[in-house]
Amino acid sequence: MKTLLATTALATLMVAGAAQAQELRIALPTFISNFDPQDQTGNNGAPMLYQVYDTLIERDPFANPLEFHPGLATAWTQIEPTVWELTLRDGVVMHDGTVMDAGDVEFSLDRMFHHEDPEFFAAWGRWFYNFADVEVVDPLTVRIHTHREEPLFETLISARSAGITSREHYEALGFDEAALQPVGTGPYRVVDFTPRDQAELERFDDFWGEPAPFERLVFQHVEEVASRITGMVNGEFDLVANIPPDQESALQVDGVRTLGVTWPMFHVWIIDQTDEVTGDARVRQAMRLCTDRQALVDGLWGGRGHLPLAHQFEEYGEPYYMPGLDLVRYDPEAARRLLAEAGYDGAPIVAQFTENYYLYGDLAAQVIQQQWAECGLNLELDQIESYDYEVLDIRAWSNPMYYPDPMGAMDTHWSTNSWTYSRDLWRPSHPDWDATYEQARFATDVDARRDAYRRLLDLAEEESGWILLYEPHEVYGVRDDIAFELPRAHRPYVLPLRAGQITFAAGG
Amino acid sequence: MTRFLAWRLGRALITTFLVLVIAFVTLRYSGEPFDRMFPQGLTVEHQQALEREWGLDRPFLEQFAAYLGGVLQGDFGRSLFTGERVWLMYAERMPATLAVGSLALVLAIAVGIPLGAVSALYRGSVAERAAMGFAFLGYAVPHFVIGIGLILWLGYYARLLPGTGLDTPTHYVLPVITLAIPMVAGIARYMRAAMLDAIGQDYVTTAASKGIGPGRIARVHILRNALTPLVSVLGLEIAGLVNGSIFVEAVFSLPGVGRILIGAVEDRDFAVLQFGVIAYAGLVVVINLVVDLLYVAVDPRIRLEH
Repeated sequence: MKTLLATTALATLMVAGAAQAQELRIALPTFISNFDPQDQTGNNGAPMLYQVYDTLIERDPFANPLEFHPGLATAWTQIEPTVWELTLRDGVVMHDGTVMDAGDVEFSLDRMFHHEDPEFFAAWGRWFYNFADVEVVDPLTVRIHTHREEPLFETLISARSAGITSREHYEALGFDEAALQPVGTGPYRVVDFTPRDQAELERFDDFWGEPAPFERLVFQHVEEVASRITGMVNGEFDLVANIPPDQESALQVDGVRTLGVTWPMFHVWIIDQTDEVTGDARVRQAMRLCTDRQALVDGLWGGRGHLPLAHQFEEYGEPYYMPGLDLVRYDPEAARRLLAEAGYDGAPIVAQFTENYYLYGDLAAQVIQQQWAECGLNLELDQIESYDYEVLDIRAWSNPMYYPDPMGAMDTHWSTNSWTYSRDLWRPSHPDWDATYEQARFATDVDARRDAYRRLLDLAEEESGWILLYEPHEVYGVRDDIAFELPRAHRPYVLPLRAGQITFAAGG
Repeated sequence: MTRFLAWRLGRALITTFLVLVIAFVTLRYSGEPFDRMFPQGLTVEHQQALEREWGLDRPFLEQFAAYLGGVLQGDFGRSLFTGERVWLMYAERMPATLAVGSLALVLAIAVGIPLGAVSALYRGSVAERAAMGFAFLGYAVPHFVIGIGLILWLGYYARLLPGTGLDTPTHYVLPVITLAIPMVAGIARYMRAAMLDAIGQDYVTTAASKGIGPGRIARVHILRNALTPLVSVLGLEIAGLVNGSIFVEAVFSLPGVGRILIGAVEDRDFAVLQFGVIAYAGLVVVINLVVDLLYVAVDPRIRLEH
């Protein structure tokens, strides 16, 4: 009975809390430079853009496999293989007071689809290169044309980079100013924004959906880990992000709880496939075989990072995720044999790194240098400010899952539209690669796509154009009355601050 | 006086122009902004399109002429990263830097001068050793070490003071102390040296032989004369505030110009950094001019000359 009463009281408290004006102060280690949904494609924008912009089709943030539901469009139909018709929600008020219509959708998406303005090249190459045009049928109906039939239409159009903004706003202010004074349709509107410093959002009372749970959100850029931790402990912040796991114990204090997360994201090394030395697939395969990733996970991440066994994530869900698939081998002996076959003579292999961009990246490189030395590989580490693609053989990188589908990490990083291909680093040479990739990307039959992806993973092993290192683990510090589940259907770092996604105590 | 000011103004303009040229040349040859702007990588096509948009594909002299033309019309350009107007970025962030910097300066003067004076007057005592030990440490330890140390001590463990932003008066305490400590050390050391120099002068011996009390000698004859060379030191310290604010604003996440400057250096955000360098050069020129004028005001023996 006591438990029941306590539970009821807590629930009442939380409901009361949800109904009250509340402020949530969040410290982030990196920050966006503007608020344009199509321009800001990096991880640093994910926590904020999600609160401000809506998409035509929305994902259930927690469903696995993906589920879609109406967003700014109430209905959508594929009327031809390359044409989707969407009916827009009527009466959606935007943050500038105008009412969203087909013109806003056309403006927001076409500037990206048309691939003319370099501001939007990153989003185009990562998500929307197969999208051709938005056709306005009437103020509440649009047709989206794709170049080829798009099996990932709903998945891609529900990415935050397809968020809708106001045509009138951009036409009145121009890109530079409009991007600093964002206008979306989401549950929060931006009331103050200082690029790379601070953003204040407040509940948007005219939001078309369920009202936002917080009256006010304050995102603050706090680069120093020590400052974020101190701010959390002494009550300056309610939520702090990106705390390295070895600092977690500093957050073990009253009133604060920690939330560890292994995001669907690989830290990888790209290997130059066109270089004289690393152009030999046997040398690249030897590099993989000689990398003891388990030692990296244990030594650097205290066993809390995740060791990937193939280029796939559990978030893909059925039927694409293949549990039990293990394509990873650590076999220094086999590596030495391959190097001997390739006639590798100890020529230097240059790995370039920018300082501190990837957590523990420099330490991992030093460990790998030692591991490779035992196989006879001569790895030189070069810390630089700007990459020199004429010099480097290896570059550190990350592969986040941008959407829960095999292509969400593969196509966004390793397609022929990717920068790795453009810079002549990634040049798959297997005769089956292109056709298999084509199937995995564009087949409309689910089984055909899954089978093609499975085959692609085997081919990727032969190509050995990358080395998957680990999936990093990081920690959030959160006020202990706040509870939420991280939205795995979205890209990493999205924070679930919309209605029904987070609970907290009254007066907190 | 008018001739002197005209001469100094002309020199200031030439200095500022030379700084502008050097900043432009070194920045253009120090690297590109692309890796910082797109840490996840960008295609060759994307990079070339941005170079065209920003005019970086044009001949070097043409870029410089375009920039200079803009500057002469009051257009310092926009940030490559944020799209903000450069002058507005600095104008909006200047109040935070000025607030923290001026408070730190006042604190440094209020603590540094007495500390240096006491050290000189009580030479060889424990107080002198303690004061100079503090000054040595304050000079030697970098701002970011002091700042993080204070955050951990007074913010994390004692939970007495906040360590990020400038929302309330208590938010000023740690950054002001952090910025002031090396200045206190500098002023105290200079003050001590100036006082010791004054103590050895004939007029002090004369005053003592006349039977004037040690307190009055210290106040009227030693302290007043020792303050004159301190004017130039204070000028240097004010210019140095900008250097200190770069670290302090980063550690305490303050919305000031120091943070813009360090970001612009890391990012190769050309227009932002160029404006910062020119503004800093202008500040140093103005401070030097003010110091020269103050010298004349406090020491009539000095005349304004070229």
